[in-house]
Order: sequence, then structure tokens, then C-alpha cells
Amino acid sequence: MDEELDSRKVNNSFLRDHNYATEADIISTVEFNSTGELLATGDKGGRVVVFQREQESKNQPHRRGEYNVYSTFQSHEPEFDYLKSLEIEEKINKIRWLPQQNAAYFLLSTNDKTVKLWKISERDKRPEGYNLKDEDGRVRDPSTITALRVPVLRPMDLMVEATPRRVFSNAHTYHINSISVNSDYETYMSTDDLRINLWNLEITNRSFNIVDIKPANMEELTEVITAAEFHPNHCNTFVYSSSKGSLRLCDMRAAALCDNHSKFFEEPEDPNNRSFFSEIISSISDVKFSHSGRYLMTRDYLTVKVWDLNMESKPLETYQVHDYLRSKMCSLYENDCIFDKFECVWNGTDSVLMTGSYNNFFRMFDRNTKRDVTLEASRENSKPRAILKPRKVCMGGKRRKDEISVDSLDFSKKILHTAWHPSENIIAVAATNNLYIFQDKVN
Amino acid sequence: MEYKVEAHRIMSISLGKIYNSRVQRGGIKLHKNLLVSLVLRSARQVYLSDYYAGVCLNAQHIEAKEWELMDADREKLIPASERHVGAEDGRASRLQEKDGDSLDPSDVAVTSPVSPAISETQCGSSDCETDADAAVTEGDSRQPPKDHACSHRKRSAEETGVSETPVKRTKVTPNAIVANNEIEEGEEMDTSNVSNLITIFGSGFSGLLSKDSAKSESETDDSDSGSGQICCEQMLKNLNPWTTAIVAF
Repeated sequence: MDEELDSRKVNNSFLRDHNYATEADIISTVEFNSTGELLATGDKGGRVVVFQREQESKNQPHRRGEYNVYSTFQSHEPEFDYLKSLEIEEKINKIRWLPQQNAAYFLLSTNDKTVKLWKISERDKRPEGYNLKDEDGRVRDPSTITALRVPVLRPMDLMVEATPRRVFSNAHTYHINSISVNSDYETYMSTDDLRINLWNLEITNRSFNIVDIKPANMEELTEVITAAEFHPNHCNTFVYSSSKGSLRLCDMRAAALCDNHSKFFEEPEDPNNRSFFSEIISSISDVKFSHSGRYLMTRDYLTVKVWDLNMESKPLETYQVHDYLRSKMCSLYENDCIFDKFECVWNGTDSVLMTGSYNNFFRMFDRNTKRDVTLEASRENSKPRAILKPRKVCMGGKRRKDEISVDSLDFSKKILHTAWHPSENIIAVAATNNLYIFQDKVN
Repeated sequence: MEYKVEAHRIMSISLGKIYNSRVQRGGIKLHKNLLVSLVLRSARQVYLSDYYAGVCLNAQHIEAKEWELMDADREKLIPASERHVGAEDGRASRLQEKDGDSLDPSDVAVTSPVSPAISETQCGSSDCETDADAAVTEGDSRQPPKDHACSHRKRSAEETGVSETPVKRTKVTPNAIVANNEIEEGEEMDTSNVSNLITIFGSGFSGLLSKDSAKSESETDDSDSGSGQICCEQMLKNLNPWTTAIVAF
């Protein structure tokens, strides 16, 4: 797939030209809204930056709608839990957009403990001509007022403001890892390591617990929930993944507490591949329904798997993301890379899968042609407007020109978060503190 | 033996990770600690299978058979054997000094006789020893055996005798899956390294034991609970103050 590189090096760091990244600027989530007009990113410092696609202009037809910063706000602040003497990180774990119902945009953003509903709205008019206060806002001395006038709305520079409309807190003992908006657009669920809660978007002081896998005795704990998502079309169905590599599909109509699954998806472990780290690499880091709702995609450390909802025994397709890492497990365990949680995304037509890897590489798999490609998100190796060159990693032996050997991969440059425009071939790739947006080549 | 070295290294790294997670910003990550503890357990299994295999080769098969018989006998015994208690008290008191959470002396005394039996019956099934028979003969070339882990651990506990330490607990780690046995067996092998780790930890870890029994019950086909289960329950009762702390998390 040819890509035109529109290297929007959006760097939130104050020291823009310097190469180091302050930790607070590390992007922790990327999400397009349902039309693709807006793109939101959350970072470790608790900030959300929203980009808007500019309208395509007839003057410059080759510049198809680029994304510009639309709004920036501080979503979460660091908090301290005095009872447990724990600091609560402000890092934004997930952002999910609500479907647009009026002129304003709504999104849910969450850190480890609290979910917030933000309203992003535009203001381009301002009332002027108050009686009791002057234009600066200072209160006027009533004795100086001699006439009465009606304030009028006058145009002003466009201002985009974000206001927190709801704060959903105190419902999670463990760290929230996912949120998912239901297709009924009234409810959403938040998931932590052991529990899933269902919320009504309007009600903040109450939530319903729909899944609870906490054992009576914590010492018997064997698995945790790693991700969860609602079915895109059926508002009663959702799926959650576990650290043991299994998926559970649940139907909320069956019972109030969905501890018993309707379907259980698990692939039997290959005994030949058993190692110390088998359990870690089988832990599912992300699960996504296809747009059609027919398939599920899961990401574990080394592979991406596509499951058919109708077949529980094994996945439909398995794609190797970076199998060359299989021999490096011990080092990856030592430097904590083995715990990295990669996400995966579908394209709009459910024909291509995309996920990230190390060395700022990301991979795409075409389900129909069975071809895959490795691309790199980096300023040094690609110029703006240039077509991305496919990359290749060589395992050992003779290294061809332009290939990279496994040992020279930079494991600090990891692409964990990517997003695909809902209908067009535009992708957003977060590489540490940089956001890259790529578009299809326009001929 | 490369496996042994690597397994020990992985164990040290894992313990280090668990320790570091206590001081990490944002609190303890349950998922990561769970995974680390699983790796730690796998490494321990391999380490012990290796260790035992090494000893067995030296001791010859006949002696090994004798061990199995003795184990079988001991298995049936109610937890507390004089020999272990004697060896342990010294250890227990030493641990108590180190233990920042200052176990009550009576607790220590109670747990010390219990713990050897606990480690013996780690998987909660006394028929592990029959599996151990096969395990012994197979030697050290196997992959980390889940089913046989308990027997190996039990065996090494029997052999060394001295190393039984009362169960260490941590208030902090919620999954709290690392067994004291892992630490104690490490101590048998390489006291200097692992005892440093123990000092660093200060307070103890609660037993892997019940998780093991839960897991191995699901894994081993026929588990004979018997006295093993009783030991586990006794152990769990003693762990009460700690489990409430863990649950509170």
C-alpha cells in the first residue's frame, strides 16, 4: 500500500526542536471520531489534544484535508489516594468519542481511576454592551449609568472550549484499562483488571457491575481482564479479553452479572513453543470488533489474530508481527519490553489490520491478499510527501542493504497506539511523543 | 547447568521487578505483577527440577527411591516434624528480625512447623510424589513441568531440611503470588544473592501455596487432598491479617 507521508510532527513538548522527549508528552492513546473529522490524542501528562481536519480547498486540491490542532485541554490531574497512600497517575489511558448529536463534540477520557465526559464546543460570538459592567468585565459604578441598552452578540475570533460535563469516579479499585461506548449511545462500560462497570452517560453517582472476576481469596488470582469492548451493533453484547489469552463474549440480557460467558474463545497452547515467558506473550493486550461486528481482532505480544464470532475453538487468521523477537524473550523481559501493550486497529472496510512494533515500525496486514508490509514512522528516514518505503528486519546471517538486523532495533522507540480513519485511508501513528499522520497517495 | 543459571537469573530479575513495583508511581500494577509472578514460578520449577536432577545423579537411583519412600511417609504425617521445627526456629527468628512487619513470635512458631508440610504439599496433592518418580528419571532436559513442580519443590525441601522459613508475606503486593519457598530454595542454592533480596524486601510474601493448590488442582488429574489440604487451610488461617491487607488493595 503506497502511502503519502504527511509528517505532521505535532510535538507537544515545549522544546520542539530538541530530540529528547519529556515523559509527560508521551502519547498514550489515539482515536478518530466516528466521522474521522476529529482526531484526539491523550498523553502521559493528562492532556488531550484534538485535531480537526481542515476542509478541502479547491485552491490546493493535492493537499487533501490536513489535520490541525483544534483544542488542547488538561483532562486529568495527578491525584493522591490518601487512604492507600498511592499516587494516581494522570496518564490518559483511553479516549472514546461519542457520536455527534449536535454542534458540540463529546468524548470520554479516562486515567487509572476516573472517567470524564468532555464537551468540546465552538464559540464565535460574544455578547457586548452590558449595562452593569464594562468591556473588561469591571463592575461599573451604578451612579455613572445613565442609559439602558440591550447587549448584542458580536462575532469574535473562533474559540474552542472544552468543559468537563460529567465525572465518573470512585467505581474502580484497580486500574482502568478500557472504556467502550455502547451502540445505544446511552451507556458505556469501564474496565479495570478485575471488574467491568456499566454506566449511564447521564448518571455519575451510580454504576452497575456487570463482570467481576475477583476471586474470594486474592491469592487464587490467575488471570485479569486486559481489555473490553461493546459490539458495534448489538447493544447487549460485549467482549473482554484476559491475560491468559482468552476472550469471553457476554450477553447482558442473560443475567445482571455477566460472569458466565456466552462464548469462550481460546486457542490451545502450542506445547513446542513453551518457555518461561509463554504466559506473558499470550496475554491479550487489545481486542477490537470489526466494523461489521462479525469478527474480533486480538493482539498479543507477537501476533495479531482474527476470530470469527461463530468459531470459538481457534482463530480464523493469525499474523506474525515480529516473530524474530521470539529468541530475545529474556532480554525483553529484563528491559520490561515484554510487558508493552500494543494496540491493533481495523481499517474502515475490515480488510486491513494495523498494529505497531519496535524501532518505530508499524505493520499492516491485508486479509484478502495475505500480504503484509512494515513501515517506519520517523522524521529521519522519510521526507514529507514522500512515499513510505517498506522496511525489513533480517533475523541473522547476511544482511541485505536497507535491512535492519534484529540486534540494532531500538526498543525504546515503540509504536503502541495507532488509529485508522473510519472511512478513508488515513492513519494516525503515535511514536513516543510524536504523532504521524499518513494518507493514501493522491495521483 | 545452563538452565539452572538462567532460571536463577530470571528469578532474581523477577523478584527485583516485584520489589520495584512497590515504589512505582501510580501504584502497583496488578497485571504486570501477576505476569512476573508466573514467570517467577516457571523459573523456579525449572530451577528445582534441575537441582533435583543434579542431586539425583550424584545420589544414584537407589537412594532416590529411598527418598521417595520417605517422602511418602512424611506426606501422610500431620504437618510438624521435629526435625524441621528444630532447624526452622533458628531460621524463623532470624527472619523475624528482618521482617519489617514483625510477625508475632507465636505466629512464627506456629507457621514454622506448618510450612514444611506446606511446601511438601505445595500442590495440595500427595500423589505428586508418584509423578516425581517419573520426573526424577526423566532428568533435567524437560521443559518446566507444571504438574511436577510441587513434587520437586517438596523434594528439595525434604532434602535440605534446614531451609524452611516461615511464610513471608507482603502487605503490598495484592496478587502476592511469590512463595517464600522460592526465596528459601534460592537461599539453599545461593545464599548470598537471594538473602540480599530478602533483606531488601524486608517484609515477607504470602504463600504461592494456595494459588498453587488452586492451579494444580485444575491441572493434575487426580489430586489427593488429604493432609495437604488441611495444611493449606491451617496456613491460610494464619495468613489472615495479611490476606485482609491484600484484599484491601
